[in-house]
Formats: sequence, structure tokens, C-alpha cells
Amino acid sequence: MEITIVQALLIGLWTAFCYAGMLFGIYTNRCIVLSFGVGVILGDIPTALQCGAIGELAFMGFGVGAGGTVPPNPIGPGIIGTLMAVTMSSVTPESALPISIPFAVAIQFLQTAIYTVRAGAPESAAKALAEKNFGKFRRVANMTVILFAVVGFLLGFLGAFSMDTLSRLVEMIPEWLLNGLTVAGGMLPAIGFAMIMSVMLKKEFIPFALLGYICAAYLGLPIIGIALVGAVFAIKHYNESEKVAAGVAAGEVQEVEHDDWI
Amino acid sequence: MTGSNKLTKRDYTKTTLRAYFLQNGFNYSNYQGLGYALVLFPALQKLYGNDPDRLAQELKDNCEFYNTNPNMLPFITSIHLAMADSGMKYDETRGIKMALMGPLAGIGDSLSQFCLAPLFSTIFASMAMDGISIAPILFLVVMNLVLLTIKLVMGGYGRKLGTSMIDKLSTKMGAISDAAGMIGVTVIAGLAATFVKMKVAITFAAGEIEAGASQSVVDIQAMLDKVAPALLPVLYTMLMYYLIKKKNVTTYWLVLITVILGVVLSCLGILG
Repeated sequence: MEITIVQALLIGLWTAFCYAGMLFGIYTNRCIVLSFGVGVILGDIPTALQCGAIGELAFMGFGVGAGGTVPPNPIGPGIIGTLMAVTMSSVTPESALPISIPFAVAIQFLQTAIYTVRAGAPESAAKALAEKNFGKFRRVANMTVILFAVVGFLLGFLGAFSMDTLSRLVEMIPEWLLNGLTVAGGMLPAIGFAMIMSVMLKKEFIPFALLGYICAAYLGLPIIGIALVGAVFAIKHYNESEKVAAGVAAGEVQEVEHDDWI
Repeated sequence: MTGSNKLTKRDYTKTTLRAYFLQNGFNYSNYQGLGYALVLFPALQKLYGNDPDRLAQELKDNCEFYNTNPNMLPFITSIHLAMADSGMKYDETRGIKMALMGPLAGIGDSLSQFCLAPLFSTIFASMAMDGISIAPILFLVVMNLVLLTIKLVMGGYGRKLGTSMIDKLSTKMGAISDAAGMIGVTVIAGLAATFVKMKVAITFAAGEIEAGASQSVVDIQAMLDKVAPALLPVLYTMLMYYLIKKKNVTTYWLVLITVILGVVLSCLGILG
């Protein structure tokens, strides 16, 4: 399948919007959203949905980290991976994920580079303020998001534009490797889930991990059902912790009264 | 001291919505510092607009290092503006601004990053898996509605509360964040069992070959499924957890190990 120049431009704009949205915190820079746009632009929504869902689950945990740390970027599978799966018959949504991982890592480095280049920004902002040039101050303060949009556009546009070259490279991948990559693609989400768990899982939450496993594996509940079962226990815990707090307060009052009696 | 009281409710709401711009100037020397000043810009302009020196000084002061969760930011900016509007100088507001940064980042992150995002992302990703085209749009809409609500509630709360009740709020938020964590862990464990795919491809023939009858085949995966469904995915996720948590292995290595392992095991015909 050929990608027209208009489609490539649209994919560039879409990537720019989604990537900049990451700084706004509007959750556009997620595989499921990125690849949906590619699917709409190229007219193959079913393939894009598969790519988006697979990438989303694999990359869910990669967004986790203390503020300012940069994870591998979902543009890899969300844009590049989806482009491959839609345009190349040899690439399945499952194998698109591992093939596009190198792009995700490269974009991660690019992003770190942007933050580093912008490290001089406070200096220019201070200078603008010393000149009472508030317009310039605002431009400086908005520059990171503008750079994100430009880089996003280039990534999306060049990715779509050079799909011919990329497809020739992918055609050189032998079938055993593609099969292997499909298997690896099924295993990759484990890393994301483990990363989230490494941040979330406290000792007292271990029963909940077991609960989730039982609900999914033995009972085959859908995700919303699992979340609701978890919510039952979470609400119970919340109510009890409020009662404990109230109990402590009541206990103190009683003790005071007791002192009075003596 | 009565202060200027120049700011109306509209100014607070506007500043709350400008929380989306917090990271517009993100960089590695003052993180969200430029963004913080940018978020406050119109409100500060209203307060000190007729005194360019003061405005420039306030903006410059507000550019110092900052790093918190954007969804919790309105709580901080509302308190900050309430204090500034009552005539306080930056030195007097700075303490509370810096004191709130860390705790609210923690609460905000565990709520949005570790609970809401994984929950919605998996719900809508599994809808997308089933071929429901609207799933990505629903993901965006639902996620942003919830986050916007948190921002507005936080901003309004900060404006009303002032500075007195922060302790009480943070104990309550602790319980909320715990509850969020419980739901999150349940969901993630369920997802690991559902969406990590590892199947043993080894089957071997059993019994004697009889003419006309198909030979019975022992399928290892089917046997495993009878004992504990999704056993391999869960074990592999636990291995990854162990490597991250106890061995501090980075994601690069984990991705590399997983890809190589997947290819090798597939070539050997063990996984398929």
C-alpha cells in the first residue's frame, strides 16, 4: 500500500499534536490514540486498533517514573509500528511491536536531548524579564512544547514518507525471526505490568494481586468486572480507615473523661 | 492588612485551566519552573500590571525549580493566588508553595499515573482488541474528563480552604491513594494474566498408532491450563518484577532479554 504525500503530512500533524499533548498531560501520546489517528488517515482502522491495543498494554508501564525521567516513547509502536502493520503484509500487529521498539528508544533519547538543550531556557527567561519584555518571556516559556510539536511532525512525516525504505528493510527479515518477534511481542507487556507493580505494589497489597489473577485467569471476568471487585475491597478499606481514625479520636476523648473522674 | 483583592473567581478558574501549560517550558535545569510562572502569568499581570518592575520580579521569582503533578497544581496555585491577592510578597508564599510540591506530586501521581491511566488504558485497549473503533476516542474523553474534574475540584478547594486544612486533606488523600492503589494492583494483576501471551508449543504423540484412528496427542499447554491458567505469563511478569525491584535491571535490558528470549524459544519450538 502506498502512502500519499497528503497522508504523510497528516500523519506528521497528528504526531505533532499527540506528542505536544504529552506535555499538556492530555494523554494523547499513548499507543492507542496515536495508532488510531494513523488508522483513520490511512483508512485501515481495524489493523490500527490491534496495533494500538497491543502497544498500549506493552507501553502502559513505560510511562511510569519519577517526574522528569523519560521512558521509551509510544510513538515507536503507535506511529511507526502501525504504519508498518498497515502498509506491509508481512508485518502483523504483534510483530510490529518488537520491530518498532528501536524507534521508541531512539525517540526517548531525542526527548532527553530536547530537555537538555532547553536547560539554558531559565537564563533567557531571566534576561527577557530584565528587559521587561513579557512577550519574549512567554515565548521562552512555551518553547519546549513548540519543539515537541516540530519534532513530532518530523517523526510522523518522515516515518510515513520513508515507509518504502523501511519496508525494504523489513522484507529482509527472515520468517523465523518474524515468528520469533511475534512471540516476543506477546511477552513484552510483562515488562510494563512489572514496572507498574514495582511502583505500586506494597506488601499489604499482595492479596489484591492474587485477587486480580484469580478473577482473570480462573473466573475469566472482563477488566471492568475485575476493577469493580477490587473497588469493593478498596471502599471497605477506606471506610474502615475512617472508622479507625474516628475510633482513635473517640478513644482519646474517653481517656480524657477518665482522667477527670480520678 | 486587607490586601488588594483584585482577583475574581474567574481569575482562579483561568489559572486552574492554565495548569495544562505547566510543562510547556520543561527543561533539565528548573523542570516546571518556567511553566509555573507561565501558569500564573495572567493573574500576576492583573495583580501587578501597573508596576512592570514588580511583575518582572514576581515572574522571575516564580521561575525557580518546580516539579509536581499537573492535576494537583491548581490546589497550589489557588492558595498561592489567595495569599498574593491578600498582599503577601513572594517570600511569604514561597514556603507553602514549596511545601506542597512533593506531597501533592506523590498523591497526584499515584492517582493519575498508577490508578486512572492503567485502568482506563486497559479497559479501552481491550475494547479496541475486540474491534470497537470508538475505544481510543472514549479513552481520551473519559481520561480527560476525570483529570479536568480533579483540576477544577482541586483549584476550587484551594481557593476556599486557604492554608489551614492541608494536614487533614493529606491524611484523607492518603486513604484515597491507598484505595486507588488496591484497585490498581487488582487490575494490573488481572491484566498481566490476560494480556501477556506465552504458550508452550510442544506436543507429543502418545499411545500406539492405529490405522484409521487419530493418534492421541499430549498438549503441554492444555495440561498447564488445567492446573493454573495463565501460569507462564504470570511467572514471567513476576520474574520481570523481581529483576526490576531487586536487581535494578533497566528497561533496555529487559526489552532486549525478552526479545531475544522470545526469538530463541520460538526457534526451538518451545513457545509458539
